[in-house]
Amino acid sequence: MGPYRAMARIAWRNALAYRVPFLMSLSMMVFNLVAMFALWQALLGDGNSLAGFTWPQMKAYLLVSFFTNCLVSTFTDFAMASRIRSGAVAVDLVKPVDYQKSRLAEALGFALLEAAAAATVCAVVLVAFGGVPLPSPGRLALFVASLAAVVPLKFLIAYMCGLLCFWTQNYLGISLARGAVSGILSGATVPLAFFPAWLRQVAEVLPFQAVTNTPAMLFLGRNPGLPGALAVAVQLLWIVALWWLARRLWHVAVRRLTVHGG
Amino acid sequence: MASTSALVEATGLVKEFRRPRKAPGLAGALKHLVTRRFDVHRAVAGIDLRIDEGESVAYVGPNGAGKSTTVKLLTGILVPTAGEVRVAGVVPHRDRVANARNVGVVFGQRTQLWWDLPVHETFELLRDMYRIPAADYRRSMDRLCEVLEIGPLLPVLARKLSLGQRMRADLAAALLHEPRIVYLDEPTIGLDVSVKDRVRAFLRQLVDDGTTVLLTTHDVGDIEEVCRRIVVVDEGRIRHDGPVGVLRDTLASNSTVRFQLAAPAPLHLIRERLPDAEVTTGASERDLVVRFDRTLRPAGAVAATVMGLVEVRDLRIDDEGVADLIRRLHDRDSPAALNGAG
Repeated sequence: MGPYRAMARIAWRNALAYRVPFLMSLSMMVFNLVAMFALWQALLGDGNSLAGFTWPQMKAYLLVSFFTNCLVSTFTDFAMASRIRSGAVAVDLVKPVDYQKSRLAEALGFALLEAAAAATVCAVVLVAFGGVPLPSPGRLALFVASLAAVVPLKFLIAYMCGLLCFWTQNYLGISLARGAVSGILSGATVPLAFFPAWLRQVAEVLPFQAVTNTPAMLFLGRNPGLPGALAVAVQLLWIVALWWLARRLWHVAVRRLTVHGG
Repeated sequence: MASTSALVEATGLVKEFRRPRKAPGLAGALKHLVTRRFDVHRAVAGIDLRIDEGESVAYVGPNGAGKSTTVKLLTGILVPTAGEVRVAGVVPHRDRVANARNVGVVFGQRTQLWWDLPVHETFELLRDMYRIPAADYRRSMDRLCEVLEIGPLLPVLARKLSLGQRMRADLAAALLHEPRIVYLDEPTIGLDVSVKDRVRAFLRQLVDDGTTVLLTTHDVGDIEEVCRRIVVVDEGRIRHDGPVGVLRDTLASNSTVRFQLAAPAPLHLIRERLPDAEVTTGASERDLVVRFDRTLRPAGAVAATVMGLVEVRDLRIDDEGVADLIRRLHDRDSPAALNGAG
């Protein structure tokens, strides 16, 4: 087994060792999903539509949003932050593997588990609340590709936030700020269609919208034809750009490392 | 010595840390937000160190002397503020991946085991990380299981290990890929005597097999039993560098007799009779300490002389070892002690 595959596998094993906190954080997101369902059903349930969303479409949007929320949500950045703060990162630095690729491998390992859990929840919700409009097979393929791109994208955002621990000793604040900013700008809290024009324009030039808005729009068929493919291309561009940016940040950050004692 | 044979070569190594200077209290914290002030602390202040293939070096010094920081510079964990390091031709902090293949690192106060998984999972992951061929891995594991007796620990969760078990597993983890040089940062800290003995015997074996070892420690036993060369650092500089054997031989000629007397010691009388010895009092006037060269006069003669002058209740004879040297080296203003020993 190659080194990075082995790391992904051990991350997966580790996630099973932490199944209680994993299930807790999953159930938190499920509660959130249920609340959103209740809210939007009250608004749209009697055949209304708002900003072009009917109730079945909104159900689909909420499920996609829930799914992307679950991916790369729990372990990567907190594990990294605590290792940087405690100095355990010293051990990671004497291993014959690239730090950034290693963390990505771990995130992918967790993501497998997260995707399986989220898909199960989605299936249960679909049975309980009735169907949603399904896209054509071609659209569906593009949608799956964009979901796959969400994993490295979310990872890179979380990774760079984790690196900030080389400057600050408290990660909770960074994590909460990241959650708030990306929750709004990705469209996970409210679809971008509900934003005022200026905020929508801001959101569209930032990487966060590629996390939730892009796959949701693909699923709903809001950008048929070329624009849909372009949206996935934009995701890939963001991955390349953020990967490079994260590397630069790492090189600056690691010079600041201070490990006292042992 | 040809410069090509050096495995580790550090020149003019400096590492500075910035510490924020904050006044106490909320006012101080707010002030720090506006006017950020830092104190520069030089943990390593210009170290030149050369280690050849196959050497076993003890790197000693008081707490905060810069030992651990040096190890972290040599392993590439920290980036030096100034100076150069090369380990087996690689600049460690620039090419961490290449460096990691050549070195093994053990931190006494940290573990590299995956905390929530059984020990064997860590070894299998390391096998994949270092791309160790299956046959080499099996051979390496068999040897490590035998000498470190870690076989029974393999199915145990790493966090359930005792400190001694953990250290043995950590040693095995650091040596699995058969590194050319092993850095050990206080490997026996907190271990009981019997585990210490096993770890030392293992390290001695490692040195005999030709692995280069750099060991930081506060434990004299580690130095005497494992290392042939001793480097003493203080305040980020090297204060002494030489063979352990020479130190021991020089110091072995020094002896100390401690007397407990029935009455205050007549120092001038004793000094008159023992002109070449160092005669002082200990905690009280009734505690007498005589330090002398055993090659000039046997301990019995010293004891007989003192007993002839004053009533002795108890006495104890101590031979000096490396411990005393290090203690004296730790007293900063004692270059004389150094010269006397070297």
